[in-house]
Amino acid sequence: MRYQWHFQVILDNLPVLIAGIQLTVAVSALSMAIAIVAGMAVALARLSSHRALRWAAYAYTEFFRDTPLLMQVIWVFYALPLLTGINLSRFAAGTLAVSSNLTAFLAEIYRAGITSVSRGQEEAALAIGMRRSQVYRRIILPQAVTRVIPPLGSMWVSLFKDTSILSVIAVAELMYKARLVAVDTFRPLEIYTAVAVIYYLLAYPQSLGVNYLYGRFRVRE
Amino acid sequence: MAEPILRVESLHKFFGRLHVLRGVDLTIERGEVLVIVGPSGSGKSTFLRCLNRLEEPSAGQIYFESRDILARGADLAQVRRRIGMVFQHFNLFPHMTALGNVMEGPRTVLGMARRDAATLGMDLLGKVGLEEKAHVRPAELSGGQQQRVAIARALAMNPAIMLFDEVTSALDPELVESVLQVMRRLAEEGMTMIVVTHEIGFARSVGDRVAVFDQGLAIELGPPDVIFRNPAHERTRRFLRQLLREEAAP
Repeated sequence: MRYQWHFQVILDNLPVLIAGIQLTVAVSALSMAIAIVAGMAVALARLSSHRALRWAAYAYTEFFRDTPLLMQVIWVFYALPLLTGINLSRFAAGTLAVSSNLTAFLAEIYRAGITSVSRGQEEAALAIGMRRSQVYRRIILPQAVTRVIPPLGSMWVSLFKDTSILSVIAVAELMYKARLVAVDTFRPLEIYTAVAVIYYLLAYPQSLGVNYLYGRFRVRE
Repeated sequence: MAEPILRVESLHKFFGRLHVLRGVDLTIERGEVLVIVGPSGSGKSTFLRCLNRLEEPSAGQIYFESRDILARGADLAQVRRRIGMVFQHFNLFPHMTALGNVMEGPRTVLGMARRDAATLGMDLLGKVGLEEKAHVRPAELSGGQQQRVAIARALAMNPAIMLFDEVTSALDPELVESVLQVMRRLAEEGMTMIVVTHEIGFARSVGDRVAVFDQGLAIELGPPDVIFRNPAHERTRRFLRQLLREEAAP
């Protein structure tokens, strides 16, 4: 007995899937935008001379890195409203959970980048009379950030797919939509195959884009 | 007599339990070139790095232009503007061009207008013979060229004194002379300099005074003629013999 593939269902349900893609892109882009900034703040806090700040950043990072994203998503959507009385939309809760998680990972990447800049760079900058904030802004961070473009890029590409986890709280992204269509049409194999292809087609150009960026901004030493 | 530009009194430095500087006293007059020699591990680099507090001294006093720079409220960034430093490994900023490196201090620290900083930068690159390399990144320069850019970068802050920390030690032998030449010219122009080096020829011809460091102390201090011809300490003699042997060897 051979399975009959009916890829026609994909075309029939294309508008639904496209709506899902749009939301996937929106959640990913928004989360990345938040985490790019927040991750840097957490990284700087980790490297700060204030003990309390350092500890808070450390605790934050370890909490979000060492617990499953799935649990964080569920927790933000169901438990946070109970504790704080703040009701977030599915989209907002999903974005909050994903961006908080991503922030922790990006903070570690940034931190690795910052500490990889040699001590001599800092000394040279201090020796011409720069203040610490200037040393960071002008000398250390520009070098650190260009060095971490590849790992940042791979976080971005995997984030893109990780947002599929938000289907558990019914955020209407690609995976959620796919499941609806699959249930609707009794054609899960076709739908999920198509979804894999869609994720691939969306992610691959971004990988290329990241490589291009790195080649462009890489600093030779 | 005028107040010396820099006065160091019983400077001590510990790294953990290691006593690296054990009470160094030195004064440097304006326009003077002081050369510091000594075996590796004698504390000469650490001494130099204490002068702009890249290393934090453990005890002692440092007066720079009559100001106590170890005082609690001392504005370090302010002090460092006036003290130029050149490092063994150049430490140029790799993400900036040669000109960018030289302009960085005036632009960021002094808030100089871009155009003025560029003019100053080109002047200084000319002075170290690298005008044509202005728009090149450090990675494309030879070690000698990088070091000369580093000297220009330090000079751009118009410092009152320049510190040279074994600036030719990391260079290929054939590139050393180009850097020494720049330093020699600076000395002739009257720049106050402290030079930690193994280049005895340079010490002899350019140094006004030579200090010999050994085991965290300045064991000998005087004009190069005296130090190199007729040293008072046996340890100095041993060190000089060692150095001459190295120079004689290929």
